[in-house]
Amino acid sequence: MTMAEILKVEGLNKTFGSGHLAVEALKGIDLTVNAGDLVALLGPSGSGKTTLLLSVSLILDPTGGKIWLDGETIYDHGWKEVDIRQLRLTKIGFIFQSRNLIPFLTALENVLLPLDLLGFERNEAHRRAMELLKYMEIDERAHYLPALMSGGEQQRVAIARALASAPKLVLADEPTGALDSVRGMKVMEMLKKIARENRTAVICVTHDERMIEGFDYIYRLKDGQISLSDNHG
Amino acid sequence: MDLAIRDIKQHLGRFLATVVGIGLLFAIVLSMNGIYRGFVFEGLSLINITNPDLWVVERYRGGPINEQSILPEFFHYSVAAIPGVEKASPFIIYPVERHIAGESKRFTIIGYDVFTGLGGPKNFTAGRPITQAHYEAVAHQKLGLRLGQNFRLGLHTYTVVGLTKEGTSPDGEALLYLSLPDAQEVIWLPDNEEVRNQRLRVYQSLVRPGFFTPQEAEKYLSRYAIDMHRINAVLVRLAPGAQAKEVVRQIKDYLYLSVFTTPEQIEIMFKGRLDRPQRQLLLFRTLLLIVSVVIIAMVIFTLTMEKIRSIAVMKLIGAPNRVIIRLIMEQSILLTACSFFIGWIIIHNAYHLWPRLVLLTPGDDLTTLGLALTGGIIASLLGIWKALKTPPALALGEQ
Repeated sequence: MTMAEILKVEGLNKTFGSGHLAVEALKGIDLTVNAGDLVALLGPSGSGKTTLLLSVSLILDPTGGKIWLDGETIYDHGWKEVDIRQLRLTKIGFIFQSRNLIPFLTALENVLLPLDLLGFERNEAHRRAMELLKYMEIDERAHYLPALMSGGEQQRVAIARALASAPKLVLADEPTGALDSVRGMKVMEMLKKIARENRTAVICVTHDERMIEGFDYIYRLKDGQISLSDNHG
Repeated sequence: MDLAIRDIKQHLGRFLATVVGIGLLFAIVLSMNGIYRGFVFEGLSLINITNPDLWVVERYRGGPINEQSILPEFFHYSVAAIPGVEKASPFIIYPVERHIAGESKRFTIIGYDVFTGLGGPKNFTAGRPITQAHYEAVAHQKLGLRLGQNFRLGLHTYTVVGLTKEGTSPDGEALLYLSLPDAQEVIWLPDNEEVRNQRLRVYQSLVRPGFFTPQEAEKYLSRYAIDMHRINAVLVRLAPGAQAKEVVRQIKDYLYLSVFTTPEQIEIMFKGRLDRPQRQLLLFRTLLLIVSVVIIAMVIFTLTMEKIRSIAVMKLIGAPNRVIIRLIMEQSILLTACSFFIGWIIIHNAYHLWPRLVLLTPGDDLTTLGLALTGGIIASLLGIWKALKTPPALALGEQ
């Protein structure tokens, strides 16, 4: 694994169930993502996109294979002795399809939460959270509750929160799934912006090919197998 | 960041409504504590206020408060003659329902030797003790009489010369202190029709064939009188240095009476008249406390379930378990403490509206708060268990 490699997956398998009921969701997935890469995962429902995302985000136990994250082996046919939540907190940012903000916290507080968990000093955390909201062009809504914001605004706050801990890797699961095309494009622009400007690796699961224009790599998943699309980069 | 407070702030109306609801329940729990304490206090108050060294009562009776006991009045002279007895006073306690100041009222008459006797009123809020042999009374404030007020009772009119606020009958009824002869007359004197009937019955028993002639019967009947010289107990103060055990033995052996010390009298009340009601109250308040804790558990569980997706998000972004546990536990403790506080305010402003004494003690309040908080913490365990079991994948829509 080179210094630029943020995520490396080798021969990753995931099988649900056993015996004649076993379903192989992932079959020997190999994937390398470097700093600043914009990676799209495309595929029909049931192809294994979300399973792959859950596996590399340390939520789902793979059945076999290896995973490296930021130079550290975290899975080698079994989880290594690592603090998985701490890894998620410090190295991975998450953006989900919808309802991903904590509804009883304002936009600012949602961004402050990971900083608070990381032990940031109050004023420093506040300054950084406001910077991120400004970066996502949503700072004027800092004190709004999610329920009072549009889907696009909520998603931009979610991106700001995902970036709060300055993660090396951002995982986005259908980030535009609940948005109209205009707001969806805006969110995608934001993801591109953070990849380009912060050198953050972004893996984005989507089914909407219109949204992935300008992505560096486009992988397609089908029946648990991954392939690099011809029209990447 | 205090997530619990932020969640409450966003749902303040609902939180306050819940707190008021559970607070009312706590008010009932606290009132039951007070009713229980008041019940025991009132049950023992007459014993504690009277507080002689010995209570001498009719043989084999647990009187005079737990059980009725009747003695001839002169017995107190016999008791006074026992070595070691400094003072022996006749004492009457008798519950009645009579018309006073135009209203029918239940109260308990205490008759005592107003000059040198034991068992008189204490802790006056106004006025003075009875100083005349007849027609003066000291009343508990609950009776609603004013100082100096005249009221009719039985055949005579009495004047209220003193008011007290301490001491009630074991049933919580007001006490009315009268001189011994006044009390005996009010309690024992039958009405004229009953006197005539009694005299007729005696006359008829005398003139049965083989007994007396009508003339002789009339002669005996003229000597017949209703006996009002009865008392319920003799109160004893021991002489300095006297051995209570020896005095008790002598009264029992020579006068054939039962004798109890004041602690024994209290024990008799606890094991007798107060036993079942106080156990019933104890059971009831325990059940109420359990119901309160169960409701808190349900509320906390519901609040947790409403936040389950947010909890999954927190787990996903790396929040350690302690953050989630703190969120649930803090809400549980806040809910319990605020509810208790509301209940405490309600009952401390409304206890006087209860018809019987509601005795609120800081000890009971603190114990209930401690139990409620413990219950609240236990109640939150269900929510915590559910939250810790929640997979972070739930945030992504996965179960």
